[in-house]
Amino acid sequence: MESYIKYLLDSTIFILEGSVLTVKLYAVTIIFAIPFGIILALMKISRFKTLRYLISFYTWVFRGTPLLLQLFFTYYGLSIIGITLQPFTAAALTFVVNYSAYLTEIYRAGIESIDKGQYEAARALNMDYFQTMRRIILPQVVRRTIPPTCNEAITLVKDTALVVVLGMGDLLRSAKELFSRDFAITPFAIAAVLYLLMTTVIVYFFRKIEDKYSVYE
Amino acid sequence: MKMIEAINVCKSFGAHRVLDNINLVVNKGEVVAVIGPSGSGKSTLLRCFNGLEEIDTGEIIIEGDVFSKKLSKHSRDQITNKRKREISMKLGMVFQHFNLFPHRTVIENIIEAPVTVLGMDKDEAIKRAEELLKKVGLLDKRDSYPSKISGGQKQRVAIARALGMNPDIMLFDEPTSALDPELVGEVQRVISDLAKERMTMLIVTHEMGFASKVANRVIFMDDGKIIEDCTPEKIFSNPDHPRIKTFIEKIAKR
Ligand SMILES: Nc1ncnc2c1ncn2[C@@H]1O[C@H](COP(=O)(O)OP(=O)(O)O)[C@@H](O)[C@H]1O
Ligand SMILES: [Mg+2]
Repeated sequence: MESYIKYLLDSTIFILEGSVLTVKLYAVTIIFAIPFGIILALMKISRFKTLRYLISFYTWVFRGTPLLLQLFFTYYGLSIIGITLQPFTAAALTFVVNYSAYLTEIYRAGIESIDKGQYEAARALNMDYFQTMRRIILPQVVRRTIPPTCNEAITLVKDTALVVVLGMGDLLRSAKELFSRDFAITPFAIAAVLYLLMTTVIVYFFRKIEDKYSVYE
Repeated sequence: MKMIEAINVCKSFGAHRVLDNINLVVNKGEVVAVIGPSGSGKSTLLRCFNGLEEIDTGEIIIEGDVFSKKLSKHSRDQITNKRKREISMKLGMVFQHFNLFPHRTVIENIIEAPVTVLGMDKDEAIKRAEELLKKVGLLDKRDSYPSKISGGQKQRVAIARALGMNPDIMLFDEPTSALDPELVGEVQRVISDLAKERMTMLIVTHEMGFASKVANRVIFMDDGKIIEDCTPEKIFSNPDHPRIKTFIEKIAKR
């Protein structure tokens, strides 16, 4: 019994060490993709036609192809034309670009769902474009897009496991290593618990933000 | 003093001419009721005055400053957007559906523009907003969110919010049309108070009783034209146009 507990602890620590990379990748993606998504969404509904087309093309490509393929492309594909990236850089870059594409569409839909009376009221009060967006429109968009953003944030937890294909030692890979060594199912169970823990924290966090924002409803 | 002057203003949506050569002068302290059938261009007229719609041709002058001037539909407005923004500060607008900012409390709705647009000190803005709330009888709703107050209260907040920018002219686009009948009076009372203070106002309304009480001038619009411009007494007792008579009788029956 005691030896099993020790095994469990050691395995957990080993897998947790691997999960540092998972958490890093996660944080980088969230920190960049959310603001990029908002900015690109604003550009996608701007009055500049070329810009709109460019961004539509971008979201079409990155939402329409597998993330795994995009990872291969950035890591292996680019190296052929002489751009060699560290695995983490390649992964982070791909994740940010990929998730920004999804979030762009989420925020675009959010912006378009705001009643045009809000713009007119702001305009009638002589607010300019930036004041209107920053003070009136975007706070309401952020509130409305919490549920779909939360979905993306959960999917991202699991998508981070894809980096094994770049030979990176993340949470899942550490579990797999233990499995190969011990031929026991415990490491996978530990990995599952850790993923669940992360998604639970994320859901809790988003619920908190939602509560904070919902006072006005 | 001329507060608003429209000279040969035309505006079309596609092939549909919504404002057909409008000429109008509104003088300081005048309360002008704008009436007419739905689709006759009343809202569009008001929206051209504060720049929510761009005119095709003609000229709009606000308190002596040219606000908009166009010789042809596809030419550029001769007035820059920056200048328009300066001039449109003189106008406040109240909408049929209030358009309050739902994520801001009553007081935050009122101080938003004074603070962000005029750069007013926040404490001072709050003090002024509280005075305005007192004036519209809603000081106790100071910290409520719009979703928690009635339609009549929302519209009174919207009026206070517009007044917060200290306009010389107020535009009202059917301010009571979205309200339950029992809430209409409280909003009309606030507008009547403004009339007593000699605020220059243009009010689109279907409430004929209110129009005749509050306005000292009534214009009747039909199909993009102003076909009557006279005192309330005249328009409600013996208008020149048979169309106006039919319209007023129809409204009265509702
Ligand atoms: N943005 C718009 N695009 C196209 N048509 C419009 C637009 N706004 C108003 N219209 C049309 O212009 C006409 C006049 O509208 P409006 O000024 O709102 O009339 P009213 O306020 O007198 O009811 C209507 O036929 C309406 O359908
Ligand atoms: Mg209208």
